[in-house]
Amino acid sequence: MTAFDFSALGFAVRRDIPEAYSAYWEVLAAPGNWWTGPERVAIADASREALSCEFCVLRKQSLSAYGVNGIHKNSGPLSGRVVDAVHRIITDQNRITQTFVDDNAANGLSKAAYVELVGIVVTVFSIDEFNRALGISLQPLPEPKPGEPSFELPDALVEDMGFVPTIPAHGATGKNADSWVPGSAANVVRALSLVPDAARGWQQIAGAQYLSLQGMQNLVQDDNRSINRMQMELIAGRVSAVNECFY
Amino acid sequence: MMLRTSAMTTDTEVDLQGVVGNKTSAATGIAYGAELMSFAESIALRDEHSIVESRDGLLAAAGPAVLVDAAGVAANFQRMVRIADSIGLPFDYMDSTMVQEIQQELGLKRFASSRHSLHPDEG
Repeated sequence: MTAFDFSALGFAVRRDIPEAYSAYWEVLAAPGNWWTGPERVAIADASREALSCEFCVLRKQSLSAYGVNGIHKNSGPLSGRVVDAVHRIITDQNRITQTFVDDNAANGLSKAAYVELVGIVVTVFSIDEFNRALGISLQPLPEPKPGEPSFELPDALVEDMGFVPTIPAHGATGKNADSWVPGSAANVVRALSLVPDAARGWQQIAGAQYLSLQGMQNLVQDDNRSINRMQMELIAGRVSAVNECFY
Repeated sequence: MMLRTSAMTTDTEVDLQGVVGNKTSAATGIAYGAELMSFAESIALRDEHSIVESRDGLLAAAGPAVLVDAAGVAANFQRMVRIADSIGLPFDYMDSTMVQEIQQELGLKRFASSRHSLHPDEG
């Protein structure tokens, strides 16, 4: 398993953080539901390239996401359409629309593949952001593992919110019984449930970086944290506000 | 919303204007609030110079354990905002009076992503 080493910091990092990151790196390298291991790692690499993509800078400055033409920085094997989705999630996420997702689906990037892609991009991005916040180098991406995607979908799906189908609020049962606590299926928890492993991936990282789904019920302070819930929510609120996220 | 809820739970007076960048407000009722807010802001803005400055400030004021946990929370929400926007999530509690008050106080309906939660004639 890849070891995330924070010894260069000169102070301790809670052990559960590198453990969660290392476990995710293993998952990232393996075939998913809709992408192979090499494709998943290439998506992760593209998420890093987005931050130095000149076309993304131009588009972000444009009044419309479609107001400028150009080509994304893309040194990997992914198609332009896939790279565009990856870069938008990193650099221009609040102008993603239903039309964008539908158009991709009609042109080869299915909604399920998009959801798995979102899961990879945001989870790798959050791990990278942790390193950047602490001023240390990014972890090298893992070596991809061979194998084919499972192309597996959950049994029951609904289209009652957002751009993609999800497991219904009462549908966390059977193989997906671990998806959320019954009665607390917030929209964000259901968001990536079209690909349950994508949801599991970010939730496991969230449990180390922030709080587990169960831990969120504690509004005072988690025993394993040095900041209380108000301090956490001040940080959360400021990050959300700067990103102009209404949710 | 969770900031106000956690403050109510602990019977603490906070000023939500800290969320929109007011340092004095951020420090009201929250230990190291100004430093935490500046650190979070610099990470979300992705400005290398201000990240270094705010990180050093938080480390000096609160120590490494707080810095590590703050980095984790900020990184977590850099992810969560992107999940919400890339999937077009509507906010869950739009009928809540407290939520509506917070949205009004902070002017959140000006954000483009509010379109996922508002009726066409709102906002």
